[in-house]
Amino acid sequence: MEASSRRSGDRTVLEPLMEINPAEIAGVSPATPLSVRSVALSSVSHPILVFIGTGGGKLLLLSLDPSSKSIELLRSVSVSNRPIDSIEILMEIDRILVLSDGFLFLIDRLLLQPVRKLGFIKDVTAATRRVGFGDSLNLDFSGDGLLKADVSSAGQRLLKKLGGGIRANGVKQPRVSESQRGKESNCLIAVAALKRLVLIELLVTASSDVDSDYGGVSVLLKEIQGVEGVKTMTWIGDSIIVGSLDGYILFSASTGKCTPIFSLPESSGPPKSRTLLKSKEVLLLVDNVGVVVNDVGQPVGGSLVFQYVPESIAEMSSYVIVARDGKMELYRRKTGTCIQSLNFAKSGSGPCVVANDEQQSGEVVLVATSHKVTFLCKVSAEEQIKGLLRKKNFKEAICLLEEMESEDEITEEMLSFIHAQLGFLLLFDLHFEDAVNHFLLSKSMQPSELFPFIMRDPNRWSHLVPRNRYWGLHPPPVPLEDVVDDGLIAIQRGMFLRKAGVDTSADEDFLSNLPSKAELLESGITNIIRYLHVSRNKDLSPPIREGVDTLLMFLYRALNHVDDMEQLASSENSCVVEELESLLGDSGHLRTLAFLYASKGMSSKALSIWHILARNYSTGLWKDNPISAERDLPDVSVDPITGQKAAAIEASKLLEESADQDLVLEHLGWIADIDQDLAVMILTSEKRVNQLPLEEVLNAIDPKKVEIQQRYLQWLIEDQDSDDIHFHTLYALSLAKSAIEAIESTSGSTNFKADNERNVSDVVSGSENSIREKLQVFLQASDLYDPEEVLDLIGRSELWLEKAILCKKMGQETLVLQILALKLEDCEAAEQYCAEIGRDDAYMQLLDMYLDPQNGKAPMLNAAVRLLHNHGESLDPLQVLEKLSPDMPLQLASNTILRMLRARVHHHHQGQIVHQISKAMSLDAQLARIEERSRYVQINDESICDSCHARLGTKLFAMYPDDSIVCYKCYRRLGESTSARGRNFKQDPVFKQGWLVTR
Amino acid sequence: MAMPSNKIKNAKLVLLGDVGTGKSSLVLRFVKGQFIEFQESTIGAAFFSQTVSVNDESVKFEIWDTAGQERYHSLAPMYYRGAAAAIIVYDMTNPASFSRAKKWVQELQAQGNPNTIMALAGNKADMLEARKVTAEATKTYAQENGLFFMETSAKTALNVNDIFYEIAKRLLLQAQPAPNPSGMILMDRPADGTETRASSCCS
Ligand SMILES: Nc1nc2c(ncn2[C@@H]2O[C@H](COP(=O)(O)OP(=O)(O)OP(=O)(O)O)[C@@H](O)[C@H]2O)c(=O)[nH]1
Ligand SMILES: [Mg+2]
Repeated sequence: MEASSRRSGDRTVLEPLMEINPAEIAGVSPATPLSVRSVALSSVSHPILVFIGTGGGKLLLLSLDPSSKSIELLRSVSVSNRPIDSIEILMEIDRILVLSDGFLFLIDRLLLQPVRKLGFIKDVTAATRRVGFGDSLNLDFSGDGLLKADVSSAGQRLLKKLGGGIRANGVKQPRVSESQRGKESNCLIAVAALKRLVLIELLVTASSDVDSDYGGVSVLLKEIQGVEGVKTMTWIGDSIIVGSLDGYILFSASTGKCTPIFSLPESSGPPKSRTLLKSKEVLLLVDNVGVVVNDVGQPVGGSLVFQYVPESIAEMSSYVIVARDGKMELYRRKTGTCIQSLNFAKSGSGPCVVANDEQQSGEVVLVATSHKVTFLCKVSAEEQIKGLLRKKNFKEAICLLEEMESEDEITEEMLSFIHAQLGFLLLFDLHFEDAVNHFLLSKSMQPSELFPFIMRDPNRWSHLVPRNRYWGLHPPPVPLEDVVDDGLIAIQRGMFLRKAGVDTSADEDFLSNLPSKAELLESGITNIIRYLHVSRNKDLSPPIREGVDTLLMFLYRALNHVDDMEQLASSENSCVVEELESLLGDSGHLRTLAFLYASKGMSSKALSIWHILARNYSTGLWKDNPISAERDLPDVSVDPITGQKAAAIEASKLLEESADQDLVLEHLGWIADIDQDLAVMILTSEKRVNQLPLEEVLNAIDPKKVEIQQRYLQWLIEDQDSDDIHFHTLYALSLAKSAIEAIESTSGSTNFKADNERNVSDVVSGSENSIREKLQVFLQASDLYDPEEVLDLIGRSELWLEKAILCKKMGQETLVLQILALKLEDCEAAEQYCAEIGRDDAYMQLLDMYLDPQNGKAPMLNAAVRLLHNHGESLDPLQVLEKLSPDMPLQLASNTILRMLRARVHHHHQGQIVHQISKAMSLDAQLARIEERSRYVQINDESICDSCHARLGTKLFAMYPDDSIVCYKCYRRLGESTSARGRNFKQDPVFKQGWLVTR
Repeated sequence: MAMPSNKIKNAKLVLLGDVGTGKSSLVLRFVKGQFIEFQESTIGAAFFSQTVSVNDESVKFEIWDTAGQERYHSLAPMYYRGAAAAIIVYDMTNPASFSRAKKWVQELQAQGNPNTIMALAGNKADMLEARKVTAEATKTYAQENGLFFMETSAKTALNVNDIFYEIAKRLLLQAQPAPNPSGMILMDRPADGTETRASSCCS
């Protein structure tokens, strides 16, 4: 820690409340001077009780009301005729412990009863009460054995003296019974007297006699001997830390064990220690250095370096207060920083003491010299910060805020309040980034508080703006532009004053480097955007949410952040359209507006905009759009093709979800003009809940856009499983028409084909093929179209295969065979068709056609031979012979007959082979089964049934193919097909290596 | 970037050494990466903490920067009591500070915890032309006393992170529990160094 950081700006944590002259208040004559020696404060009750011990052995009790600043003497008692060295308030037992003349005195808190002297102990040099950890320390005062413990190197011995009985001076102890102990309150104190340390338990029982020796207090004692020269003492938990001129030593109250903490350097001042109640630590003084140790004597944190050797030390929340010679200082315990120093008396006015009620909040501090008592009062955290903010000392205020936050001295609520207040001050000082940073730290600030900075009042949201003026340190909100203007004027005034030599609180940064209005505005807007953006994630009421989104759009527009605008408009948002409509329209942010309409479900408006945009792009209108050119809007700076396409895409996204038939049909046209795929997507979208009426759609599709129609029909039939004969027929006809057109264009282009056009025609024939394939597949697959109508259409075309399919559908076998066999000469297809028909006479008919094709065509003898070869067995030889034409060449005829006969023999042989192979496999399987059944299994004593887990012993058992073994009973129960492991061999057969027939 | 450490070990570390040897400067360099030409003399002691990652483990140092002034010597035991590590700093341009460092070593050996890892830092290594304490002499001394030694410079940051890193490494090594096989014991090993033979079964 650098020493430089130990000084902090002068803060006002403590503020003088009042000053008194105790002699005056006590009404003693100036002739018999009254000097203050010790003080104590009790703020448990109201008013505050102030105890003042004098040099003449008097104890004064004053009552102080800090709010009315009134103080009066309640009582004064004489304790001894020697100075009162210390006053300790024993809250637990409601007594005051006073040290004077080497004796301890007990007295009730209001000094109503006589002072009782603890006469059994004299030569007392220090006394302290124990600070516990909420536990109770069991010192075992009642044991009988005399416990002697070697107290480490120092050689002191722990002596257990009394079992709660009688002390040597003859004071009688009322022995408290266990039943009474329940109702008592007690307090532990440690007393240093001559060469010993005495631990005393003071008990107040409900039943005890007020007139007993100590005014109703019983005393139990325990001693640690051989502790000498004690000047100061504290007791936390089990540890009593004792300071003598040699240094500090820690004693364990329970065991008497002692450990040195550190020794004091030569010629250093007397030891002084102070319990820090808040952290349950102890501050030990060496010279002007405060070393803080915990309850086991380990150091905690860096040393506190005071500006002088303090005479008196007090603790107030997270501060340490030290005083000497009319001065006092306040240090922050954690950082060691000096926060405040103040003078309360002239230097040289004698010894001084400082005290507060640290057991309570301790916010009233008393500091006294011999003849003067000063009361000070803690300034609340808020007031301290308010003071700094008033002085525009933001840095210091933030620093203080951070300190308080880290010390937990401030409520969450207040923290949020101050961050907001700070933010507003910074905002009016044009430090927009810092301002928003603080706004964001405030959990209670409402986004609506910033609305008046964005939109001039009155507006839709004016009534939502909370009238939270915080501490009223900043002017009421005005639009950002005004804030900037006013701020700039203030800075200029500051510069002027500065030149004139007048000191101003104006901002140094700005004075040396004056930003432009535009820069400031941009920074302001950017930062407010940042704030609103974060606010969107908060839980806001709907009207505020609307304000946030709408104003966010406003601000984006002000900076022309088109991407952000579109992003906001197209995502889920709460923008109020009416507020933005004309604004966006006028500034030409049409895309944003369209997105906005769309996100608000105003599809038709959105679509009209997309339509307009698409048209503008295509007509080149965008080029000389004066507004856009002037403002250089990215909307229109895209290239027209992509712009147009983008508009179409956005429009189609909307239409895909729209079930509004009119809307869809209205816009389908222009979208189709731009991109047919998009149009198809719109029509075939599954996103809409209710389908569009099919007929209307079909009628609306531009008859010239065949592809759209076809794809729509295809979708209806294939994806929507439409059974409508009309659609099927329509689809078939449309495909057929396209196929015919394709063929015609191919043959047309073939005629003019030049070499360099070959590629083009390839492409065309490619599309011809695909369209024909589509047609064929559909004709085959669908049974719902009207084949005759289609046949009508293609009757004169070359679509023979298609015709064959249609004839097939119509059951015109002969026609089909004729087309396949004679027209297409596709023997395979023809034979296949015969097989489909499944009657032998079909083959015969085909053979007939081959042999006598008619129309002057030569017999297709090869095809005929092939047919006989393949299907000879299905043909009756006699019939075949009859069919053979008498003028058939012998060689061919014999070949034909031979083929047919061979086919029959071949067929027979094939059958025999299959039969033999099956037999061989059956044999193999039998063999495997025998092998499987003749396996050996070894059963021993431990073998158990896999199902019932009973020992098999000599019982009959069965084994399944999966090697599981069961006893006979279980086998009967499980049956043959399911093993003990639950495997069902019928569903899940077992295959083992070697069983598989490999031949 | 440091990996999320699965283990964080807290370790008390104390810096000891004569006035003006650069203890505070070393800590300031290590904790904040800064150097101040006119570092004020420490009074009492200052406290810092800083975490060092070694592989996937971390050591959080709780650093006590003590005052070198003789007046505060009596406070030192409080700070080195229970310390896991100590850095004894001397100024290599000042032989007296080296003698003082040796005294600190002695004191630690006599009073401190025997497990405390001790490092000796010869600071101000940037002032080579003013060197008065040779590295060789120190090395021998360090070896004899079981310290590890580095010449450092808070000014140039030479070896500053390294010395803390090295300490962290040693601390983690120290913290590693002795291998304690929980399974069965396969053979009784002779107590002396015959393991090599016992480990091969075929020869
Ligand atoms: N050239 C040089 N100067 C250094 C170096 N380290 C510290 N100094 C300077 O030495 C002076 C003393 O440094 P400190 O860090 O205060 O020394 P210290 O050991 O903390 O001193 P005490 O707190 O009094 O015990 C300062 O002026 C530092 O700038 C270093 O590595 N090189
Ligand atoms: Mg230092």
